[in-house]
Amino acid sequence: MFGRMLLAGATALALSGGAALAGDPGVSDTEIKIGDINILSGPAKFVGDGVVLGSKIAAAEINANGGINGRKIVIITEDDGYVPSRSVQALQKLISQDEIFALNGTSGSSNILAMLPIIEEEGLPTVVTTAPNSKVYSENGAPPTVFSIGPGYVTPFYAQVKYIHEHLEPANAKYGLIIQDDDFGDSIEQGYDKAVKEFGLNDAIRIRYKKGQSDFSAEVLNLREAGVNVLVSGAIFGGQASIFKEARKLDLDLQAATVWVGDMPISVKLFGPAGYPYLVADYVVAFTDPAAQAFVENAKKYVGDEALASDRYTYVTYVGLKTLAEAMRRCGQELTRACTVEQLDKMENFDAGGLMAPITFDERNKLAGTAVKIYQFDPTNSGFKTLTEFTDY
Amino acid sequence: MRSGHFKERYQQLVAVSDNRAAWGWSGLLVVALLLLPLVAGTYPTQLATRVLVLAIGAVGLNLLTGTAGLISIGQAGFMAVGGYTNAILLTEAGWPVEVTLPLSGLAAAVISLVVGIPSLRLKGLYLAITTLAFAFIINHMILYADDITQGNRGIFLPKSTFLGVGLTKGPGLYYLCLALTVVMVLLALNILRSRVGRAWMALRDHDIAAKVMGVNLTVYKLYAFMVSSFYVGLSGALLSLEVRFINVDVYGLLLSIEALAMIILGGLGSVRGALLGAAFLTLLPESIRLVFDAFGSGAQQLFSNYVFQIRELLYGVVIVLVLRFEPGGLNGIWRNTKKYWSNWPLSYG
Repeated sequence: MFGRMLLAGATALALSGGAALAGDPGVSDTEIKIGDINILSGPAKFVGDGVVLGSKIAAAEINANGGINGRKIVIITEDDGYVPSRSVQALQKLISQDEIFALNGTSGSSNILAMLPIIEEEGLPTVVTTAPNSKVYSENGAPPTVFSIGPGYVTPFYAQVKYIHEHLEPANAKYGLIIQDDDFGDSIEQGYDKAVKEFGLNDAIRIRYKKGQSDFSAEVLNLREAGVNVLVSGAIFGGQASIFKEARKLDLDLQAATVWVGDMPISVKLFGPAGYPYLVADYVVAFTDPAAQAFVENAKKYVGDEALASDRYTYVTYVGLKTLAEAMRRCGQELTRACTVEQLDKMENFDAGGLMAPITFDERNKLAGTAVKIYQFDPTNSGFKTLTEFTDY
Repeated sequence: MRSGHFKERYQQLVAVSDNRAAWGWSGLLVVALLLLPLVAGTYPTQLATRVLVLAIGAVGLNLLTGTAGLISIGQAGFMAVGGYTNAILLTEAGWPVEVTLPLSGLAAAVISLVVGIPSLRLKGLYLAITTLAFAFIINHMILYADDITQGNRGIFLPKSTFLGVGLTKGPGLYYLCLALTVVMVLLALNILRSRVGRAWMALRDHDIAAKVMGVNLTVYKLYAFMVSSFYVGLSGALLSLEVRFINVDVYGLLLSIEALAMIILGGLGSVRGALLGAAFLTLLPESIRLVFDAFGSGAQQLFSNYVFQIRELLYGVVIVLVLRFEPGGLNGIWRNTKKYWSNWPLSYG
């Protein structure tokens, strides 16, 4: 009798174990767990805050509308403090302890690179919405389950220099480049190089600075010495504010191309007082754009006034999670990671609500939303004028 | 009835430990750690691996800063040397981990002479700043030696094995780190009871007096740099095997600060302290997480958003509290607790 009970018990255990093994982790009858690894401490915390808000708005909206085939989305956020080894640790935790189904937040460029080996081993569907890096695109050997949204820095800078050359170039134009001495700066230089070669521009000076530098008086003096009147700048926030402030002190007449964070409210506060009508090329809309304002109004329904803190990182992460959710929805009740990746591969012109260009992936091209829009800052009203619609370069 | 632990012979003073119970408990701890992957889940094993990796580096830094009194903030630089040596030898030369690991430590030891020799006349804050500058120089060299280090792009490490055991999946890397930690700890304990260890302590306590007693300051300072850097380089190489991708961001300055926090919190000059400090600071966020989990979903949400702010705050608070109430660090607390129970009911002090 005891032997039979033991056999029956063992059979039941084996069957239940088999059933559990058949499905992918992170999916139950009622919920789907999505991981989000982000920068929620340190100087770059503002990026993570925007990303977390984007995921939160998208999840709240999806869940309020019935979830994904009846399953609610649960976001599990981990902070990596922008440290790659911590990103790996956080991902290990999300996979082995929380058993996530997919990943939507991937922190910075080095951080996603550090996580790639584990993502590949786990076959984890991953949407990269911040710090797109050419090493992460599938054609460069990255895992086929990784999908990136947004171009690297090459395209936006090529686009801005092209626009300046064709529409805003001053007489006797002399171009100057100022960049950080890392991969971020290298990407910007590639975009600049491309434009310089293609349009035969007068490349007067190239300056590299150390990450974290705050005083740019010497660099701006060098720009003046070289007679630069078109500045292509890879500095951000305080750095860019310092460059504009020094340039204004020296009364330099500059046409400037800047990094896409230039269209964030904080940048406007920092750069605005210098009064330069700088350009920004971005793959998401500026916060003053009607599409961004419509997004915030809609988001208020789900997260209240928290939606007012939305920025470009919020928009792109929102689009990322909505794209991932659409792929999962198309899989129906039998949701698996393989099916999600297959559906992401088939994603064609998924509407991003005007926040960015529609999303299209395929098996060979895992990079979408590369079209950029060029804005020009208007110092008179601290707003942005749209110079071009979303365009692929 | 015991009223204290008295050392009556010179051999007892120089023994690694003259206490059989200490050997017994240490053996038991190693057995427990051997069983950890079998009883705990994957994530606790991964966390334990990180503790062991950082513990080796902390023991190394403790030899330099805690024992020899030479303050270093260049830990991240030496770890980077070890990590890059390991990665380059694995990917470019295709050498096995059995060879690349010791060579990574050796590379860091040799490079440490670059800091050690010009720093012979420096001490205190001046030396600390020099080692900090070294970390920046290493960072700069990695970025610009693009042909060797792949510059900004970083290096992905291949799947590796050690004596036929896979280091990518499963507990292979954990067991390797555990074995190396045991070996390196025993090595450190033996160095400390040798002439070299005593010379380091002498130059820490009073370098002029040490010189008068015949300690060659130049030689022993360089020994300290080299031995410490070997440990730290090895730790950097193990970190590269754990993360499997390296670039300069993996070996950021924060590593140096954390390493210093580990040895100060653990107890300067003590191998046990370095181990306790590494374990404590690595597991602190997880401990906070468990506490927050106990308070329900609201607290968990708060924790998810502010984990590192809380951790950084706790770093400061814990270090200040330890220094205020127990300058001997975690090791001091351990020693006092042990003394209290060993001598009970005749405890004093």
